[in-house]
Amino acid sequence: MSGNKQRVVVWNLWTLVAVAITALASVTAGYYIGSSGHTENGTQASYSVEWDESGNITKLTVTDDYGRAVALNGVPKRIVSVSPTPTEILFAVGAGDLVVGVDEYSDYPAEATNRTKVGSFTLNIEAIVGLDPDLIVSSDLVPQQQLDQLVELGYPYFIFATRDFEGVFKDIRMAGVLTWHIAEADALATSLEARVNEVALKTLAAGVTKPRTYVEYYPYYTYGPGSFGDDLIRVAGGVNIGHNLTSEYPTATSEFVVASDPQVIIYASTSNATEIASRPGWNTISAIRNGQLYSIDEDILSRYGPRIVDCLEVMAQILHPELFDS
Amino acid sequence: MGFGNRDVPAVATDITSVRRRHRLVLLGLVGLLVFVIFVAIFTGYTGPIAPSGGDRLSFKEAIQGIFGHTNDSVFFWDIRIPRVVFAGIVGAALACAGTAMQAIFRNSMADPFIIGVSSGAAVGAVCASVLGFGAFLGSLASPLFAFFSALVTVLVVYSLGVVKGRVYVDTVLLSGVAVAAFLGAVVSFIIYYAGERYDRLIPWLLGSFADARWSYVEAAVLPVVAGALVVYLYGRDLNAILMGEETAYNLGTDPDRLKKVMLGVAALMTSAAVAFVGIVGFVGLIVPHMMRLLVGADHRILVPASTLFGATFLIAADAVARTAVIGEELPVGIITALCGGPFFLYLLRRNRMRGES
Repeated sequence: MSGNKQRVVVWNLWTLVAVAITALASVTAGYYIGSSGHTENGTQASYSVEWDESGNITKLTVTDDYGRAVALNGVPKRIVSVSPTPTEILFAVGAGDLVVGVDEYSDYPAEATNRTKVGSFTLNIEAIVGLDPDLIVSSDLVPQQQLDQLVELGYPYFIFATRDFEGVFKDIRMAGVLTWHIAEADALATSLEARVNEVALKTLAAGVTKPRTYVEYYPYYTYGPGSFGDDLIRVAGGVNIGHNLTSEYPTATSEFVVASDPQVIIYASTSNATEIASRPGWNTISAIRNGQLYSIDEDILSRYGPRIVDCLEVMAQILHPELFDS
Repeated sequence: MGFGNRDVPAVATDITSVRRRHRLVLLGLVGLLVFVIFVAIFTGYTGPIAPSGGDRLSFKEAIQGIFGHTNDSVFFWDIRIPRVVFAGIVGAALACAGTAMQAIFRNSMADPFIIGVSSGAAVGAVCASVLGFGAFLGSLASPLFAFFSALVTVLVVYSLGVVKGRVYVDTVLLSGVAVAAFLGAVVSFIIYYAGERYDRLIPWLLGSFADARWSYVEAAVLPVVAGALVVYLYGRDLNAILMGEETAYNLGTDPDRLKKVMLGVAALMTSAAVAFVGIVGFVGLIVPHMMRLLVGADHRILVPASTLFGATFLIAADAVARTAVIGEELPVGIITALCGGPFFLYLLRRNRMRGES
C-alpha cells in the first residue's frame, strides 16, 4: 500500500519535470522531441544503489523499459545480450568487454561477432547457462517465456524496448547505470540528443512542408501508430502514411499505399526499387512517378541504439534535401 | 416421405427430380459466385463497401471507376479485380483437387496437400527467400521455385506408392504424411539456421493474396481450368472407385489409370495455386465436405459444385482478409479456418441430427 503511494509520488514528480522540460524546450526553441504521449518517460534512467563500507556496490536496482525494477547484487561482470539493439548500446557505452555472449543477429560493432553465440529468437538456453552470466539484456522481440525460463534458472533479464528518441537516450543511460559506465553513457546520450535536436530544429520548424512518406522495412511491412518508425519519420520531417493504420507494425495492403499516394518511398535493403515500382497500380504513386525512391540500410533502420541517429540524419536528408547541405 | 413413393414409376420421377434439383443447385452456386465476385470488387480500402475507415466511394463512382477511366480505375483494374479473380482460381483449384483426393484415397481426411504439395512448395519458397529472391517479391522466381519443388515432392511420394504399375493408395497416403513431416523439419531448419525471420514468412505459410496480379492469373488459369475439366470428366469413374477397386474395374474403370491421372492433375493444379499465394489451408479439405452435405456423393455434380463453391469461399475469405483491419493484410488462411470451421461443424451436426430423426 505504502509502496504504491510512493510510486505515485515519484511518477508525478517525473511528469512535472518532463512537462517543465518540454514546455521550456518548446518555448525556447519552438520545437519538441518525442510524441506527447511518451514525455513522462523522460530521458533519464531510474535506479537505486547500495554501497558497503569499502565503497563497493552491493545492490543495484534499475528499472527497465517494461517498468520492472531489476535488482542485481552489484555491477554485472558477465552480460549476455540476446538482441542486436542492447548489444550495440552496451558496446557504445564502453561496456563491450562485459559482454560474454550475443545472439546470431548481433553483428555490430565487428568486435561483438567474436562473442559466444546464444541463438536468436529461439535462445540456446544451454549455451547461456554455460556462460553463467550475471545479467541477460534483451529487446522486446524475444519471446517472453524464454526469458522467464532463464529467470527460473537464476538469470535476471533486463528489457530495452523504446518507441521514440527520448527512449533511446534513456536506454543508453540505463545501460550506463547497469554497467557502471555512467559518465560515458551520459556523454554519448547528450551528444546524440544534440544531433537529434539539430535535425529537429530544421525539420520541425514552422513553415516546413512535410512530404507524405511510406517506409517499408520488408515488402509491404511498415510502421503504424506508436511504433519507433512512426516517431522517426515525424522527427525526420515527414508524414507517415502508416500513422492512419491500426497495428503498431502493420502489413499494408497494396491499395492502401496507392490510395495514400506517398510523395517519398523509403525501403530497407531487403526490398529493391525495380520490384517496388513494378507492383500493380504503383506507377500512379507520386513518389514513383517523380523517382522519389530511396533505400536505407535495414540495420540502422530497425535497431534503436546509437546508430538510429545516423538513420534519422539520412532520412531527414532524403525528405528535406533543401534544409541540409550535402 | 411415405412408402407409396417406393414403386417403380415413382423412383423414375425421383431421379429426374434429383437431376432437376442438381441443376438448380449448380445454378444457385453460379449465382452465388457472381454475387460474391461483385461484392468483393466493391469491397476495399477505396470502395463503397468496407467495415470502417478508408476512402469511401459511392456505388456510382465505383461503377464509373470500373467501366470508365477515372482516378479510381487503378484500384479496380490493377489491384482488386486481378486479386479477386486469382482468389477464385486458387479456391477452385484447391476444392476441386480436394474432392478428387478424397475420392481416390477413399478417405475423408484427404486434402490436396496430402501428397506433399504444400510442404514441397514451402521448401521451394523458403529456399528462394534465403537465396535472396524474397518470399514475396513480384518476380516469378519464388513461385517457380515453389512450383517445381512441389512437383518433385509429389513425384517422390507417388513413386514410393507405386509397385510394378499398381498404385497403392495407403502407401501413397503414408508416404505423403512422412515426406510432409520430413520437409516441414527441413523448412524449420532453414528458417532457424539461415537467419530467415519467421514472422516475414508467415504470409506465405498461412497464404496471402497481397501480391496478386494479372501475370499470376495468366500463369495459373490454364493448369487450373484444364485440371478441373479433367476431374469433372472423370466424375463417373470417381463414383465407381468409391465402391472399391474391384467393383470399379467391373464397371469399366481402370483404377490404376484413374489414380495416376487424378494424382497428376491434382498435383499440377495445387502446385500452380500454392506457388503464388502460399499454403491456404482448409479450403481443399472442408469445401468438398460442405458440398457433399449439400448435393450428395455423386461426383458428376459434386466436382462442379465444389469447384464453384471453392472459388466463392476463397474470394469471400480474401475480401475479409484485406478489409477486416482497414488498410492492413491478414493472412487468408486465418480467415478460411476461422469462418469455415464453425460453419462446417454446424452443417455436419445438422446433417447428423436429420439423419437420426
